[in-house]
Amino acid sequence: MKTTKIIFSILMLFAINKVSAQQITTVEMQVTGLTCSMCSQATEKSLRTLDYVSNVTPDLNKNLFVITFKKDKAVNFDQLNKKVKEAGFSVGKLDATVNFNQVKIDDDGQAIVGSNVYRFANAKSKVLNGPVKVSVIDKSFISNAAFKQKSLTVKFDSYASGTGTVNGKKTRIYHLSI
Amino acid sequence: MPKNSIAIRLTNEGMFKPSFTNRTIVEGMVGLNKNLMFHVQGFMSDMDGKYRVEGGSFYTKYRFLSLDNEHSHFRGALYGRISTSKREMTSEDINLEGDNSGWQGGLVITQLIHKLALSATVGYSSTFKKQDDMLYFDPSMMFHSPTPMFMTMKMPDEMVNYSLSSGYLLLPFVYKNYNQPNFNLYFEVLGKTNPANGNSYLDLAPAVQVILNSKTRIDLGYRFQATGNMPNRYLKNMYLARVEFNFFNALSKN
Repeated sequence: MKTTKIIFSILMLFAINKVSAQQITTVEMQVTGLTCSMCSQATEKSLRTLDYVSNVTPDLNKNLFVITFKKDKAVNFDQLNKKVKEAGFSVGKLDATVNFNQVKIDDDGQAIVGSNVYRFANAKSKVLNGPVKVSVIDKSFISNAAFKQKSLTVKFDSYASGTGTVNGKKTRIYHLSI
Repeated sequence: MPKNSIAIRLTNEGMFKPSFTNRTIVEGMVGLNKNLMFHVQGFMSDMDGKYRVEGGSFYTKYRFLSLDNEHSHFRGALYGRISTSKREMTSEDINLEGDNSGWQGGLVITQLIHKLALSATVGYSSTFKKQDDMLYFDPSMMFHSPTPMFMTMKMPDEMVNYSLSSGYLLLPFVYKNYNQPNFNLYFEVLGKTNPANGNSYLDLAPAVQVILNSKTRIDLGYRFQATGNMPNRYLKNMYLARVEFNFFNALSKN
């Protein structure tokens, strides 16, 4: 009984560690297409339906939404994007503060953190630690014009679709810049 | 309309001439997803004597184009409507919000640039029942004839409608929070042409709009004919008062 407890505790530690390793603390999102406070309110209410969102603070003049999250809940950038779309608008920019815990970006710019695969457009062969501000540069997270321009310089074959094969499996890959 | 959101609208419109008559429209709106919305309307009026239910309407709008930029957007949508009404048709000016049974389809293009909203609509309406041509009395013909002269009016079953609308967000200058009232000025030009005989009119409709707590919309407007040669128009010169309550994510499961 005692051994199972110990094993369980170790497993729990591992689990907590795994979650905190990919903790996204804050997202600052710019929403485009908004022109009145009614549109902003619809967007905010839509974002708040996600169970891991703890608070949304809007800047109604700049159309920026600062989103904070509940502790130890996995944040999904695509879902945030979808909620903005459902309200009828688009994401123009998404910056996230990610709390990294000794995360290694490999020689190709790829880092696997928990279940998320990130590819960094402007960083490789380095270890990330502590809170780092990253921008998601995937399609529909930046303007279409900016995406077209970035497509010329970002060398990953996964950039166009946002997916690629990782460990033999088709995986969602977020492309980030620091 | 945002997905899973609903809205309720109450509209009252009325005319003071020849005697005061008015219509109340009760409307429910729902956003099924970001591109598709439905409206259901019920019409009541005293236009044929005492206040009674006239009929209803089902309206749907599908957004096929959405180009967003910071503080601006461009939207394209198709709309369709099916309406019923108990009223007898008295004018070639088809109105599917209370006066006629029929269907309608059209295109709306909207451009928002910061505080200015521009919108253009083109549509086609058709009644379900083909009406007989009818006689009407034109008082202006009195001067040309010693005896009252009746004219034949073609009662066709179709109408082309078009409109240009502009709205400007006047207040607030700087947003602080959702509770600040928004004040908008509107100006619309609405026209219709009867393709059967070329009869047309053009109405001007200024309006003011107040948005409270970023969810309640109040509209007050007046519409009058600027030019036109459509006889016996029923909805010439009328006011419109409307309140709309929005419930964002009311149908959301989580």
